[in-house]
Amino acid sequence: MADGNMITVEQLVKVYPGGTQAVASIDFTVSEGEFFGFLGPNGAGKSTTIKILSTLLKKTSGRVSVAGHDIDKAAMEVRRSIGVAMQEVGLDDLTKGRDFLVMQGLLHGQSRKEAQRRASELLELVELEYAAARKVGTYSGGMRRRIDLISALMHSPSLLFLDEPTTGLDPQSRLAIWDHLQNLNRQGITIFLTTQMMEEADRLCGRLAIIDQGQLVAEGTPAALKDQQGGDVINITIQASTDEERGRHLAEALAIVGGRSYVSAANATSDGLSITVQDGGAAAPDLLQLLSEKKIAVSNLAVASPTLDDVFLKYTGRQIRSEESSGDEMAAAMRPWMGLSRR
Amino acid sequence: MAVIKHTYYIYRRNLRLWVTQPAALIPPFFISGLLFVVFGSSFGDVTNLAGFPAEDYTAFLTAMILVQAMVFSGGDAGFSMLTDILSGYFDKLLVAPINRFSILLGSLLVTGTRSFAQSVLIVLLALAMGVSFKGGSLGIVAVVLITTVFGIAWGCLGLIIALRTKSVQATQSSYVLFFPFIFMTTAFMPKEFLPYWFQIATTINPVTYVLEAVRAIIVEGWVWSTVGLGVGILAAFTAFLLSITTWLYNRQTA
Repeated sequence: MADGNMITVEQLVKVYPGGTQAVASIDFTVSEGEFFGFLGPNGAGKSTTIKILSTLLKKTSGRVSVAGHDIDKAAMEVRRSIGVAMQEVGLDDLTKGRDFLVMQGLLHGQSRKEAQRRASELLELVELEYAAARKVGTYSGGMRRRIDLISALMHSPSLLFLDEPTTGLDPQSRLAIWDHLQNLNRQGITIFLTTQMMEEADRLCGRLAIIDQGQLVAEGTPAALKDQQGGDVINITIQASTDEERGRHLAEALAIVGGRSYVSAANATSDGLSITVQDGGAAAPDLLQLLSEKKIAVSNLAVASPTLDDVFLKYTGRQIRSEESSGDEMAAAMRPWMGLSRR
Repeated sequence: MAVIKHTYYIYRRNLRLWVTQPAALIPPFFISGLLFVVFGSSFGDVTNLAGFPAEDYTAFLTAMILVQAMVFSGGDAGFSMLTDILSGYFDKLLVAPINRFSILLGSLLVTGTRSFAQSVLIVLLALAMGVSFKGGSLGIVAVVLITTVFGIAWGCLGLIIALRTKSVQATQSSYVLFFPFIFMTTAFMPKEFLPYWFQIATTINPVTYVLEAVRAIIVEGWVWSTVGLGVGILAAFTAFLLSITTWLYNRQTA
């Protein structure tokens, strides 16, 4: 790593057999010690990228170097330097927790004794000693993520790949994982994580890239991305008795608001508008009046400093759809209208 | 040699999964015992037919029971690999700094161990039922070895279907397709006793030759023409399936 980069990706392309382009020529670098995140919705190309970087999937073209090694020429060296915890949680359900960890250690060239010692150390770290003698299949969701995480740490890798490490977890387990990840990063481990959770990216990542439909649409620190957003965000909820009426009002409102000179961006959300302005306090009364003139009922109006949600919306024209979002039904009903603001 | 060490680790892990599941162990052994009793008692008297090549039908049947046991357990390697692929554990092995071939080898060795244990058990069962091996104790060793290799070959077939379909259901139901391979042989009756079309089927079916080699050793002793042909065809059959398995496996992990 002569250049101090833990990961260097140049013009990476992945086209699956059958023609689906999952990654469309992306470039980025991650420095040693960074906590870097890939933020994007399902199907954006996050998992594909992480699988290529961790030597699980062959790329179509481009150049990738991980931990100072070219992934084509020195895949074995790459595997020695990285730890990987995937979305599908590759656990061995019929094996006991401690044995599962020891197996990982052995495969990484540790002696049985070394592997045992390291396993105990890590089990203690994530408070799983009490379950070490139980079969992994009996673990709860949070325990599974924790043992998966430490199994990736058995050989003390310098770089950790995590594909949606907290998706599907309850808030308490999620917080526990976040704490562990922050501690690991403080100890000097570089972390590359994918997530579709704004809060997770905002809280953990020193720098992040927003990926959508196989392309990087923005990159920077969470703070810088929010600053670029330029000013305040006004979120308006539109009241309507039917989905059809809501859709009509929404489209109308978007046209009116979009025409104001002080509005720098306006997008449809699932139940209203998200509007970016320089001064939220001054714009709000004017916007409300405009809408009431057109008989569009507003049930709620909130002025806020920008969040990563707003950043994502600005760059992709869509809200990120994670498990926390309002549900598929609503999103499906809104799709025709959200199309208005898309590119 | 790291490859050997890693193969051993994976072998041991897969073996443990197999032996710690009694439910997976009992049925094949139970069925083998049942077949001896059922077929032996219902068809036992056919040996009185003029021209039947064996005096003891149980001895005649032993080869068939050995072969069917291998065929019906042939899915195990495919199943266990598929389970690992679907659970994501396979990916965990793939990101480890090991030669990926050791994963395949480790699971085929478990199939070999399983086949070996099964054939030893069936041979013991046959001995207990009073079957005398004309090939002598060396014959017993040969029967176990041939059956074990045949079991590995059939394990490859299970792996091929698993890797090709990636579906537990498909791997499971494809086992129906293997019925003809067992029954379209001279498993129950010598060739001369079968109708013409059936004779043709048995001639094309490679399993016939393996079965007849095993049976020759048990019933007749070292009839080199039959044994040689069976072993030769088994070697070719195994080599063929092993190469297809390796090719598919390499494609899967590339």
